[in-house]
Amino acid sequence: MTKRICRSIFFVAMAVFLSSVVLIMGVLYGYFSNIQQRQLRMQLELAAQGVTHEGSAYFQDLKMQDCRITWISADGTVLFDSDVHSADMENHWEREEIREALATGYGESRRYSATLTERSLYVAQRLKNGTVLRLSLAQSSILTLVLSMAQPICVVFLLAVILSVILAVRLSKSIVHPLNEMDLEHPLSNRGYDELAPFLRRIDSQQQQLQEQKRKLEQKQTELDTITGSMSEGMLLLNEQGKIISINPAAMELLGAGQDPIGTDIVTVSRNLDLQDILSQTLQGNSEVQVVSLETGRYQISASPIFSEEKVVGAALCFFDVTEREKAEQMRREFTANVSHELKTPLHSISGYAELLKNGLVKSKDIIPFAGKIYAEAQRMVRLVDDTISLSRLDEGAADMQRTQVDLYELAEKAVDTLEAEAKAANVTVSLWGEHYNLYGIPQLLYSIVYNLCDNAIKYNREGGKVAIHIEKKSNTILLSVRDTGIGIPTDEQERIFERFYRVDKSRSKEVGGTGLGLSIVKHAVRLHSGEVELHSVPGEGTTITVRLNAV
Amino acid sequence: MMRSKFDAQLELLNKEMILMGAQCENAIAMSAKAVTGRDLSLTSSIFSLADRMDEKEREIESLCLKLLLQQQPVAKDLRTISSALKMVTDMERIGHQSADIAEILETADMEIHGDIQEVHDMAVAVIHMVAESIDAFVKKDVSMAEAVIAADDVVDACFDRIRKLLMEQFSLPETDGEQTMDLLMITKYFERIGDHAVNIAKWVVFSITGERGI
Repeated sequence: MTKRICRSIFFVAMAVFLSSVVLIMGVLYGYFSNIQQRQLRMQLELAAQGVTHEGSAYFQDLKMQDCRITWISADGTVLFDSDVHSADMENHWEREEIREALATGYGESRRYSATLTERSLYVAQRLKNGTVLRLSLAQSSILTLVLSMAQPICVVFLLAVILSVILAVRLSKSIVHPLNEMDLEHPLSNRGYDELAPFLRRIDSQQQQLQEQKRKLEQKQTELDTITGSMSEGMLLLNEQGKIISINPAAMELLGAGQDPIGTDIVTVSRNLDLQDILSQTLQGNSEVQVVSLETGRYQISASPIFSEEKVVGAALCFFDVTEREKAEQMRREFTANVSHELKTPLHSISGYAELLKNGLVKSKDIIPFAGKIYAEAQRMVRLVDDTISLSRLDEGAADMQRTQVDLYELAEKAVDTLEAEAKAANVTVSLWGEHYNLYGIPQLLYSIVYNLCDNAIKYNREGGKVAIHIEKKSNTILLSVRDTGIGIPTDEQERIFERFYRVDKSRSKEVGGTGLGLSIVKHAVRLHSGEVELHSVPGEGTTITVRLNAV
Repeated sequence: MMRSKFDAQLELLNKEMILMGAQCENAIAMSAKAVTGRDLSLTSSIFSLADRMDEKEREIESLCLKLLLQQQPVAKDLRTISSALKMVTDMERIGHQSADIAEILETADMEIHGDIQEVHDMAVAVIHMVAESIDAFVKKDVSMAEAVIAADDVVDACFDRIRKLLMEQFSLPETDGEQTMDLLMITKYFERIGDHAVNIAKWVVFSITGERGI
């Protein structure tokens, strides 16, 4: 911009300078030529007067300085010349000015010398005697004039160049300066050129549009970040080279990624080979769903390629934590296996005894004990099925059971009564004390809590042991504690005894004939009443199980 | 233009090295699990992994040679490539020795008692060393690599302890000599794998600093 302004100013200055030189020279030259010609004419007039009066004597003492005077006879012969000897001169009849003077009495002409450096002005007049008098003046031509003036012209030219350059630079700077200084962040605040106003307004509106778009983008980004940030599933976006484009906090945590892994290769974050296999499959354009073990647990990874114009440009991976689900599945599988196993054992005995009876291999006196054994095993199966049914109902949330006001003490009394025979057989004394407290709950379930706890306390007791059931109320909770003096539960097994079919001592269980579901039922029933179960046990000394329930 | 292609190739080399390192980790972890958890079902996958590592080694080697020939690297790039060439050998050895352990387990009917805890500790230490050496490579972390080099003493001490234990066992009349020998071989392999991890760590240090320790 500055350069262009400079150049044009410079050229304009030069053009003005040159044209003015040419014009001035031309005009002045013409003006001076005219003056000279007029003077020449006047002199010729005077000389003609002189020659007419004095004849050739006029030329005797004539001193010519710039002019040259020639006297020519009517036939063209030169009679006198002030510069050259007249005898050497050719006939002048042919000369334009002479011919004109002879014809009209006066003639004029101008001729350039051979070198063009000089121009001669000729004026001729016919005298009364028919001869012609001619005056001529050598005049330097315009070229010589220009050449002779070369020095001052050059000086002026240089001056013009320098001045125009300085002026051009300063001018262009002053033109460009406001443009450079323009604050494009706030286009409307600029005061400089009015011509730029529409342009600035346009910039301003575009800037506002940009700002608006930026704000929207940021908002969207924040929304996305919030969504991906708060979700518990891992989200991972990779480009076609396996570099991380986007990763949410959950994915960072489960992959064990350090600070800001965006832009790094996925292998530098996780070197899990299964994950790499999934990734290479995905980047070839196949969707994959697989369960993979990572350091933090088991994850189902669903990976899908991202296509753009039929080409894979990246991969999107989602990580779902299936650790819990797999555990639950495992438990369910175990439960099914356990149930069938537990059902099979009494069935084997029953079918064995029945087979013996059928084949008549049993003596008549043994029939009754055999039938008793079949009955006992059948009873065990019934209990097992009952327990399983009640457990599955508990799993469903006991929706069909009615909640009413229940006196826990009464329920405990009932349970103790029912278990009296069993206690006697095991030689265990059961004591119950406490007070009557009402609570709001499902009677069958509360009963099964007390019953199962007492049952266990009697079964897993030692000979001549004691079971103490105590009911008390602390602030708003009713505490039911069942303490026995039995075999106790080893510390590392205490967590597992509430699992279905879990038994500390497998061989002893068969002997005492439990189903392995009692504590599981207790746990679920207490949970349905939003209570808590607490276990305190010392192996060899006894166990205390405390149930906390909300009072009315 | 040339340089960007070279950079892409170097990046590919880095990625392949990390993947092979991951295979290393997997191989040693599986064979350690096979030993201490008496899980013979893992052996076949260890063998196939060792084969895949052979393949990977050849791939990386040819990539390195191609880089050396075509790009004529100097300074740090040259160190990176030449140490990669050396490292893959160590990685391949780790894979093979893991497979050797699995082979011993397959042929010998092992009934390891008592000292299994010691072997377990040693295996954990070696797995840690291998993982750390690969991590040092991934993160280009000199101090991490130096920690691996230092950890070799722990593994060596473990090996000595187990050797003494086995020697005591050997003198007892009721011990099965073959089993003791096999166990000694297995621990020796673990010890060798530890040495390879140290080598890898040393090459990591070299590729970063250009200095070769002792």
